[in-house]
Amino acid sequence: MSHGHTHGPGENHNHSHGPPQQPAPPPVDPILQAQIDADFIPANLGLSPDNNFALCSAHSLEKCTDCGVDYTNMNRLSKLLVQNPTLLCPPPSNVVSQKLSQIVTTTKDEGNTLFKMGKHADAIKKYNMAAGIAVQRPPWESNNFMREELSTVVSNRSAAHLESKDYISALADAEMVIQLRRNWGKGHFRKAKTLVAMERLQDAADALRLGLAFEPSNVELTGFLAEIQEKQGN
Amino acid sequence: MASVLVPVLYMLIVFGGLGVFSYIYRRKAASKRLPAYFPTHAERNAYVSLLQKSDPPASDPLLKSALVRRAMADVQRVLRLREDKPALQALLQKGSIGDELWQSLLAAEKELEAEIVEVVSEANSFVEGWGQVIFPTANEMIANEKMRSMYETSEDAKRALELKYGMKASSSPSLPQITVGPAPSTPAKDTDPESPSKKAKKRK
Repeated sequence: MSHGHTHGPGENHNHSHGPPQQPAPPPVDPILQAQIDADFIPANLGLSPDNNFALCSAHSLEKCTDCGVDYTNMNRLSKLLVQNPTLLCPPPSNVVSQKLSQIVTTTKDEGNTLFKMGKHADAIKKYNMAAGIAVQRPPWESNNFMREELSTVVSNRSAAHLESKDYISALADAEMVIQLRRNWGKGHFRKAKTLVAMERLQDAADALRLGLAFEPSNVELTGFLAEIQEKQGN
Repeated sequence: MASVLVPVLYMLIVFGGLGVFSYIYRRKAASKRLPAYFPTHAERNAYVSLLQKSDPPASDPLLKSALVRRAMADVQRVLRLREDKPALQALLQKGSIGDELWQSLLAAEKELEAEIVEVVSEANSFVEGWGQVIFPTANEMIANEKMRSMYETSEDAKRALELKYGMKASSSPSLPQITVGPAPSTPAKDTDPESPSKKAKKRK
């Protein structure tokens, strides 16, 4: 039984194959295949001692600017697969790790409590922890979870920075939230609040109008915009 | 008084010349290589190179990971082609670009289709049925990586904002702090150690 696929310019493969595959996929035009094969330039890869990670062959680095390669992401995924030997391949995206969501939510709530008590620096620490954990989510899961979690945590962190009068960090966080979730009114609201604290009313009003363009029925945004327009009128 | 042969000979020479010319021209056109629409496929090269390693052979997780990255690169190419195609078609109709670029795009499209079929069959060779799942997985991973990089480059974003607004974040290193109002010094200590501790978590 011949393989239904090729491996590039006539080399043998070293991985094992599963049980006999389904019927072979439609045959590829041989001229096209020849062109594809001719296009192959061997990549200069080295392997780590345990054969699980790729490194640049000249300097044995994961990310090497001299060789112009960056294998960090590939190695990260490989590590995840190595750490979970039961996982034969990245599963479909609806398989979600519940524990991670719980930890993120708990840490975020702890941060919220500290924020309400006025301990902004500690709240920021908690939010950093929560965000750090949220980013560790396995990358094959549906990205909506990470998007929601990360944007809520960073939005709260922006509020905490604002209360600590660190306006640049608050603004950076607000802009990150907007980049993560453009449709979410809260991100725009946070940005406007920070800009108002920095005495930039016009920019704040613009940010609110942008937010309203995405969420026209958001009461928070319209109310705040009215406030700013009053202030500008004075 | 000339023989019948002359006009016949004339026709033969004319059409024969035409035939010879068109044959040579078509052969030349078929063998002419179009400029590639995309640069060389780095992830495909990496994957095939890893497969070729036999002493010592690359481990399965690494191969699967390389295959997923190859799928991700293909997804990005598909999106790019989908964007470019109607735009190029409009330009072509207006006459702003030559036919060659359009042919390059069509050739790239065909090659990409073949490439996708190959990736699916490679995936199925590792795990039965993975071929159906690998491209949705690649989609999710692309989004995930984008969000991750947004989060990790927040320090650079802060520097850019500092320049823009002429203010300093409380965590800015060693520069004189022009903070608005009584800024507590504690935020400086915990936002800086955040990056090395994040990196430590990532590497573990």
